[in-house]
Amino acid sequence: MENTEIIDLIKKISENRDEGAFSQIFDFIAPKINSYFIKNNLNFEQSEELTQDVLSTIWSKAYLFNPEKSKFTTWSFTIARNKKIDFYRKTKKNNINEDDIRSFLYQNEEGNDYEIESTINKIKEELDQNQQKLIKMSFFEQKSHKNIAEELEIPLGTVKSRIRSALNKMQKFLS
Amino acid sequence: MNSTALKNELIFSYSSGNLGEAKSLFTSMYLYLNSNAARKSSIFDNLLADNFNNLDSVSPKNLKYSDCIKIQPKSDFRKYSNEDLNPLTKVLGNIKKVSWKSVYKGFKEYNLPISDNDSIKLIQMDPGISVPLHSHKGKEYILVLDGSFCDEYGEYKKGDMQINDKNIKHIPTACNKNGCICLSITENDIVFLGKFGPFLNLFTFIKSFFK
Repeated sequence: MENTEIIDLIKKISENRDEGAFSQIFDFIAPKINSYFIKNNLNFEQSEELTQDVLSTIWSKAYLFNPEKSKFTTWSFTIARNKKIDFYRKTKKNNINEDDIRSFLYQNEEGNDYEIESTINKIKEELDQNQQKLIKMSFFEQKSHKNIAEELEIPLGTVKSRIRSALNKMQKFLS
Repeated sequence: MNSTALKNELIFSYSSGNLGEAKSLFTSMYLYLNSNAARKSSIFDNLLADNFNNLDSVSPKNLKYSDCIKIQPKSDFRKYSNEDLNPLTKVLGNIKKVSWKSVYKGFKEYNLPISDNDSIKLIQMDPGISVPLHSHKGKEYILVLDGSFCDEYGEYKKGDMQINDKNIKHIPTACNKNGCICLSITENDIVFLGKFGPFLNLFTFIKSFFK
């Protein structure tokens, strides 16, 4: 789906509570979010439950989304990540609600995803395919180094050193 | 020790969502107060979110868009003030009203009620008050919430973070006219050095039984 189309749909949801527009957004993002939860080792039932939670937040907080500053996929990712953290903490006592604590990020007046696009592209150019894959497995899918080593059939030490090297490369572009 | 690299790693771990509750709250405050750190966090969020573009989609089987629509009262659509969004206020309420515990004259602390492997606390130091020369067994993270403190490595103001480890020996001193309030995480005990070090370490050891 094109970015301009997404912006138009979110505007309709936010301003007119347009359910038709929301159904299109649902069709676009729900399968990605559901897949993200499955990749993060949640079962199908849990994934769907959390996907519903994320989509409900997108519906109810659409008015906070600023398309001039934020990318819709990034905004959705941060909501999904926060719900996942809270899911894993649910069984612990005295837990604090991460989705609530991090809500300032949804309303970040200073952040601008478009201004940092060139930095992100430079980082992606700097990292080779293997490193990008390791960053994805370790930080997006939250796989342990041991599981990554088994899945890719490479030594644990190699996984650790490649991730370290990827992080070091990324540092250069952050100052 | 490369402090910048450690800070970046902390932010990256925060973006990926694999920090414990204490470090996660600490980093939330760091991003809330420090726009440069928030920018780095956005870079990481965007990098990770980019994976959505090449993810094999898995459509939910038992979920329809209409299951996600809620009727909302008008009050739900309000914009929050910046202070309303303060992560620490959400956990504690007004931090000036917490039940501070005096450790010694001019130095107070408050342990946050968070169950985690790391202990997280608020520290309040009056102007000119110091912590005696010490080092650290594990890492220590200090974020200035208000005022400033100085040590051998410089001055740290509101929104600045310092990460210390066993290689750092310092005497932090509140150097702002109003003193300073900091949020601190210690992974392990601090070790006092100097003439009174052994006494202070013994005192800290005994005190740990009464926590």
